[in-house]
Amino acid sequence: MGSSVFLQQLINGVSLGGVYAVMAVGFGIVFNVLKFSNFSHGGVVAISAYVGYFLSTRVVADFWVVLVATTLIGGVVGLLVERLVFRPVRLAGKPLTYFFVNSITVAMLVQQFFSAMWGAHYYPYPEFFERTAFYLGGLVVSGTYLLMLAISALVLIALTLFLRSTKLGIAIRAASSDIYTPPLMGINTDVVTGVTFVIAGALAGITGFFLGMTYTVTPFIGAMMIKGIIAAIIGGMGSLAGGVVAGILLGAVESLLIAEVGSSVTPIIIYLGIVILLLVRPQGIAGKPYTVKA
Amino acid sequence: MLFYAKVLETTLLFTIFVLSVYLLSGLTGLFSLGHGAFITIGAYTAGLATTRFGLPIWIAMVLAIVVGMAAGLVIGIPTLKLRRDYFLLVTFGFGEMVRALLLWTAQLTGGAMGLAGIPYAAELPLIGVSTVVVLIFVANLKKTAFGRNCIAIRDDELAAQAMGVAVYAHKIRVFLLSAAIASYGGALLAFNMSFIEPNLFNWLESAKLIVIIFVGGINSVTGALITSILYYSFGEVFRFANVWRDVILAVLVILVIIFRTQGLFGSWELSPQWIKARFRRRAARAAGKGA
Repeated sequence: MGSSVFLQQLINGVSLGGVYAVMAVGFGIVFNVLKFSNFSHGGVVAISAYVGYFLSTRVVADFWVVLVATTLIGGVVGLLVERLVFRPVRLAGKPLTYFFVNSITVAMLVQQFFSAMWGAHYYPYPEFFERTAFYLGGLVVSGTYLLMLAISALVLIALTLFLRSTKLGIAIRAASSDIYTPPLMGINTDVVTGVTFVIAGALAGITGFFLGMTYTVTPFIGAMMIKGIIAAIIGGMGSLAGGVVAGILLGAVESLLIAEVGSSVTPIIIYLGIVILLLVRPQGIAGKPYTVKA
Repeated sequence: MLFYAKVLETTLLFTIFVLSVYLLSGLTGLFSLGHGAFITIGAYTAGLATTRFGLPIWIAMVLAIVVGMAAGLVIGIPTLKLRRDYFLLVTFGFGEMVRALLLWTAQLTGGAMGLAGIPYAAELPLIGVSTVVVLIFVANLKKTAFGRNCIAIRDDELAAQAMGVAVYAHKIRVFLLSAAIASYGGALLAFNMSFIEPNLFNWLESAKLIVIIFVGGINSVTGALITSILYYSFGEVFRFANVWRDVILAVLVILVIIFRTQGLFGSWELSPQWIKARFRRRAARAAGKGA
């Protein structure tokens, strides 16, 4: 691999990694608060991808409008899922298992609903920009990819600021470290969980839009969430920053591997890598050990 | 008639898979979203052993179980020591990895074209007997010390450990057992369908095996059995509604979990004792009326 090809793959990989990072954070923020693996995230991603497709082909083919719309709709869907599916389970104080089972059921429901409604067809997004690539030195850089990376970075920075400095953000962090104490301090955990799901949903909305743009929209697009999950594991479950770093790393490594050894072996290498990582360093990049508490 | 025999075969095969998942998810509270991978591994091991290496069928079945358990060991050792979510997420990845592996080794496995020409050796009697044996095994396991340890781990891992259950070793044993049953079922599937392909079981199929158990109730083998038979035979008989049956199943699961968490069957088991008690009650009532 020549150095220019290498650089080019690296840029593409990092942009895709940005999307993985957004996905990992959306997955991780719910995991932090409610402590279960939220597979319904993939369902919200799929819904947003479809919404983005229908908006951009039927209503308005403008990148920014569709981006904002899918983000908002993702947030609303996230809240709906929380209210309809997780809230009853949470209020009844049932074990974590049931949250998880409900979440895979939602993912299943979304995928099979789209399959049943629109079949397993491929829906390509329209091209939003006339000029999608430009030359930088000897490299061909995709403008859309760079834009995706910039937006992912901005969103993650905004989220960090929100979690650091607003009251609601601090409440979410408090609930992340222990969900039973905040209510004693006058924090409404109902609101906190709701907001957490809105944020996760909005992140899923962005992810769905970007994934739909990068690939094509199919009912199975929600399964792309596996990339976000892998990033969350590598980063260390429970650490959002770790997930971001791991997401970008995963995107870069994946692109380079695909260019070097081909797309069929790449997933095998990555999964073997994860198994080995869990053997030697289960706490991931962030180094925060995560165990079951009594 | 032939059609209904075929439906019955498919339903029973899937019931074997559901029972293997019952051990893992219902009894022990571990979730494998890549359980389909063990079925695929069993199917491919059996298929390759007979078509490519010309081994007899019973050796192929034993091989399928051995390879399935070996794969279970590779996944189980690093993940079962950690929080349960790791196990879940890694098995999810494992399912995708097995598919990638089959596509990559196309020279041997036929890749996306699938593997054809597997001898048709698993007919209804063999599948029926296997299902009954697995069913009796699982139903009885639930009542043994082994099964009670599983339930203890599911309900409170820390307490189970404090009471002297070797949690990690026990989880590995259950996982290997479940993987063995799933791979055996996979081998039967291969010998029944004569053609297998890498996309036989995606994550969704594995997820369905799990949620079916929750509809029936995690404490009831009978519940798992009945739900499984209803769901899989419904799908085969009503082909036209096939795409919608998963949507219906999903809605049903969410409703059951919210409104009847213990599942439709709770912890009720259909057992000889229950039937006997019922008959005795009816006889007593009849005797009461007569007097």
